[in-house]
Amino acid sequence: VARPEEAGRARPVRLDLDRSLVVAAREDPARFDALYRKYVAQVYSFATYELRDRHDAEDVTARTFLSALAGLPRFTERAHDPDEPEASSFRVWLFTIARNAIAEHKRTRRRHPEADIDAAIHLADPTDLTHIVEQREDWGSAWRAVADLPGDRRRALVLRFVHEMTTSEIAAVLDRSEPAVRVLIHRALRAVAADLERRR
Amino acid sequence: MTSGTGDSTREADPDVEALVVDRYLESLLARRPVGISDVPDDLVTVADRLVADLPRPHPSPTFEEHLAARLAAAAAAAPAGLPTDEPFTLPADVLIFPAARSAHDRGAVRPVVIGGVLTSAAISLAGAAIVAWRWSRYPDDRMARAVRAVARTRPV
Repeated sequence: VARPEEAGRARPVRLDLDRSLVVAAREDPARFDALYRKYVAQVYSFATYELRDRHDAEDVTARTFLSALAGLPRFTERAHDPDEPEASSFRVWLFTIARNAIAEHKRTRRRHPEADIDAAIHLADPTDLTHIVEQREDWGSAWRAVADLPGDRRRALVLRFVHEMTTSEIAAVLDRSEPAVRVLIHRALRAVAADLERRR
Repeated sequence: MTSGTGDSTREADPDVEALVVDRYLESLLARRPVGISDVPDDLVTVADRLVADLPRPHPSPTFEEHLAARLAAAAAAAPAGLPTDEPFTLPADVLIFPAARSAHDRGAVRPVVIGGVLTSAAISLAGAAIVAWRWSRYPDDRMARAVRAVARTRPV
């Protein structure tokens, strides 16, 4: 919180949660490690929900952080919303890079499909996330219901429930308006509720 | 588990209901659920379920360390103090206080999948190990040290 003197009164002004880490990394790129350690699990998790494959998620995570390191001088801190004191525009920027990396990964996969040897011989990869999660009925049904949602509904729900982003952060990541994100999440919840009811 | 009293069958403006649900989710994820009576029962139930059941996939330590090494190599090759589009500057008369930890870092109890190994961060040894390992790698700045010092003084 910063308190600039304004007409004799101190007015609290929130700073971006990651400002000090970003400043340090800009001055010395070796200190980018702190931002990496803080967000690697979140980016990996987001990629895993989108790609449903551990190796693909690792590939996208690596590309996201290498791009972020290279692009850090171009990062611009957005105006901070006083109603959301725990938001980070760096995190939003990072997830935007991840979203683009995931989209590029999917495009490449469509252009150059690879034969899956495990699928060909009907063996489940023991480290495959879907396989692991589905072994637990309680976790598996929620996972499947969310995974079956179409594109931005799924992304909005995952960003809300797994990454605990605010509506405005999700709007920035998905490049949509806040009312549109609220409607996306609302419809996604309705769809998941109906799906879980059908599976009972 | 929270139970709502809203009537999911009543006629409601979808935009208004979306706003009400958004407010409820905000409070739910802040661990202070309010406004349940305004939200249809089925949505309260599914929101509670997603908070509890959606797993949080976690990269394996091997992958994380390998990528850290790649980033360190890339950082070593990058010139320090690059010019920025928007340098961070503050007025001279401001007082700066540490920012709060993110909601994500508050650590909800939910399933965690660590590089292909299924666990629960709340109960398993693997979950405890990954939490300890993660904490050992938090940035070693003044704010992080203060947060860890406060955490150590709190009863478990």
